[in-house]
Amino acid sequence: MNTFLAILTYFAYCFIIGAYTVKIVKYLRLPTHLRWELYPVIHEEKYAYGGSYFEKKEWWNEEKQKRYVRGILYLLKEYFTLGDYLTRNVLYWLGLFPWHIGFILIITFHILCFFGALFMVLEFTISPGSPDLWGRILFYAILITGIVSFIAGTVGSIFIIINRIIDKSLRTYATPLNFLMYIFTLVVFISGLYSWYFIDPDMKEYREFWKGLITFHFVGVDVGTMVHIILFDLFLIYLPFTRSLHYITRLFAFFLIRWDDEPNRRGSKLEKRLIKNLNQKVGWQGPHIGAGRSWNELARYDR
Amino acid sequence: MKIEDLSKDTEQLVTIEPDDLIPLPYPYDDPVNEPLMKGLTDDQRMRYEASLDGVLAIGIPKPQNKDEEDAFVKRFLAGLERLLTSDNNWTFLQPLYHSLEYCVKCQICNDSCPAYIASGRKEIYRPTYRPEILRRIINKYIRKRSGILTKLTGSDIDLNWRLVARLGELAYRCTLCRKCAQICPLGVDNGLISHEIRKIFSQEMGIAPRELHELGTMQQLKAGSSTGITPKALHNIIEFMEEEIEEKAGRKIKIPVDKEGAEILLLHNAGEFISWPENTEAFAIIFDVAGIDWTLSSDLVGYDAVNYGVWYDDIQLARIAVRHAEIAKALKVKKINVGECGHAHKAMIVVADRVLTGELNIPRESALPLLEALVCNGKLKLDPQRNNFPVTLHDPCNMVRLMGIVEPQRKILRTLCPQFKEMEPHGVENYCCGGGSGFAIMQSMNFPDWRSAVSGRIKLKQILETFQEVISPDIKKYVCAPCSNCKGQIRELFNYYNVNEKCGIYYGGLVELIVNAMVDIKKRFIDWEWH
Repeated sequence: MNTFLAILTYFAYCFIIGAYTVKIVKYLRLPTHLRWELYPVIHEEKYAYGGSYFEKKEWWNEEKQKRYVRGILYLLKEYFTLGDYLTRNVLYWLGLFPWHIGFILIITFHILCFFGALFMVLEFTISPGSPDLWGRILFYAILITGIVSFIAGTVGSIFIIINRIIDKSLRTYATPLNFLMYIFTLVVFISGLYSWYFIDPDMKEYREFWKGLITFHFVGVDVGTMVHIILFDLFLIYLPFTRSLHYITRLFAFFLIRWDDEPNRRGSKLEKRLIKNLNQKVGWQGPHIGAGRSWNELARYDR
Repeated sequence: MKIEDLSKDTEQLVTIEPDDLIPLPYPYDDPVNEPLMKGLTDDQRMRYEASLDGVLAIGIPKPQNKDEEDAFVKRFLAGLERLLTSDNNWTFLQPLYHSLEYCVKCQICNDSCPAYIASGRKEIYRPTYRPEILRRIINKYIRKRSGILTKLTGSDIDLNWRLVARLGELAYRCTLCRKCAQICPLGVDNGLISHEIRKIFSQEMGIAPRELHELGTMQQLKAGSSTGITPKALHNIIEFMEEEIEEKAGRKIKIPVDKEGAEILLLHNAGEFISWPENTEAFAIIFDVAGIDWTLSSDLVGYDAVNYGVWYDDIQLARIAVRHAEIAKALKVKKINVGECGHAHKAMIVVADRVLTGELNIPRESALPLLEALVCNGKLKLDPQRNNFPVTLHDPCNMVRLMGIVEPQRKILRTLCPQFKEMEPHGVENYCCGGGSGFAIMQSMNFPDWRSAVSGRIKLKQILETFQEVISPDIKKYVCAPCSNCKGQIRELFNYYNVNEKCGIYYGGLVELIVNAMVDIKKRFIDWEWH
């Protein structure tokens, strides 16, 4: 059973990393598209009111400096506050916020468990009275992130299920799979809560389990903890089949679409990519199209 | 109403009653006075698929037999498959993919949609409705999900000709203002989905509103302009404009046409020449007084800035953009300036930027920053007191939310109009006039009534609220709309509700206000004549 649990955990992490990578690569390899930005564009100097470089005469004479940091900070803030939802639908936010905090912290919890285990391999003591500062920091960090994630996730899952049921506009568009997902996450968080409260108040079992994964000396854990680990592994395997990657693709959508105001300059790399696109053959069959010729040829309409 | 009802065999899915519409401020606060939207005739209902909401924007003829029905569905599916390939849809595949895959249906965008809100929240107009239909069709008929997976993923929908025809019509109940996209925290663009559905219908099935395609892009490419103005007719119009300028402004101006090597090729929406020649005349006066080196083109397509392709067909978009660039190149101008036309701004300066390569990549800019410089840098002698009447500004979505040109027009109005007042919300958070994405020019059957009563309703509400303190018809008021299509929509909207007579509200462009304030022009340029 110990080996099974370890292999399942290895597989779950490898699977989610692999599946996410494939999805991200697929997304990023989609061709350069026409400009379709929306203002305010975050890196614009006139961002505060949504102004752009098109407000300047002969804008092409100025080299633009993009301020990526501002965009990243904006998105990070949204990741941790979900402020757009708070402003527009407080009730929805009340479920969504703890649910997402639950996710962020449960992942942080496992990453910290890995580091805790790594430190244990390096013969640090992870405990509240550890002589090593890092040992004390990791102990409390693991404990707090774990507890908060289990509680927030549980509360969030319940609220979000209620929201999706009582709000007609949410219910109409919710799928059975959405509800299964919410119930699944609820079970994952509750199992963690149970394991912490009744079995492993110091999260020692997690650290030992992770140490086993690092050293390949797989250790046994209590049934309650084991159930949570299995559920979390299954959850990781399931995640790539959901819309969960929106946490990352959102970044792409903002930088590559909504804020993409890069002008096409002669001789630029962008122009080279566009020429490649324009040389592709068009297959559209509308009577006015003239399928079979390239975009370039078709754009020079036969007058 | 359930999502899958779109494929059900019902006489009409949605009916819009006057009581459903959101209330308007005084003097339209009594719903009894709400004009009745025109219904379709029996003949129209018999000939066209009108079972969505009893309104026809495209007017898709009903198939005559099962074979025609099947062929219709097959063509749609073939188009949908092409829409998801990178060679056929490199133009928008990444934004489309994102919006199809990553919408979590949180409905946060709903309240930003003027048509959805104004209609009393009819389900079919909800910004997430069309994308959900398309998503289900893709899951079930392209990705071939079946059985339990269909049920679990909520992909259950029956694809039949009625669903396809309704979806086609429904793509023309969204003005592509993209306010919903601006709201979305995940970067999903439900407006884009309407755009992409329109492309399937046009690029694969050859179906589009007549005013956009046959009378729009096709006529523009063949005859020179979507208005039907030929190069010969243009010369006559220019002569007429020169005479009018002399009569109204007391200036003898020779409008430059086809002047090689000019600094600026000015492109107007040709609708201005016909409906609002005072706008093109005002440009000519300002440029003449300021000593700008400019020209118009009389070449086919060169005198009409419009590019309706941006609303429904990428190939047509590319064709018109390339033609505009070829004309500018042949004239050896330094740059193209786009006059007061929102979608032409967006199409020519932004969207087509990635179609024009090499020598066709002629510098292109809005005329607004140039006008701002002329007004604010003292190039023109101006007296703001000549514009001392209530003025508000409508922000054309294409210029503002989609291009970020927000301040130049405001700086001009703040300088020239002592009673300028913003409507709320404004700037990049504005509401569409209701005539966006071609609606302003679409005159099919009873569609104009829907456009005024539903998609334009929020704009009317905003205008009335802004002028509420001076709403008496005795006080002349001015809605400045620096966009031809927005002006067209506001004209129709005001006609529908008789706003000019009841409230004394007039509409017009930005340059008219500039010329009206010019001290060297003896007569007032704005004559307050309703047209």
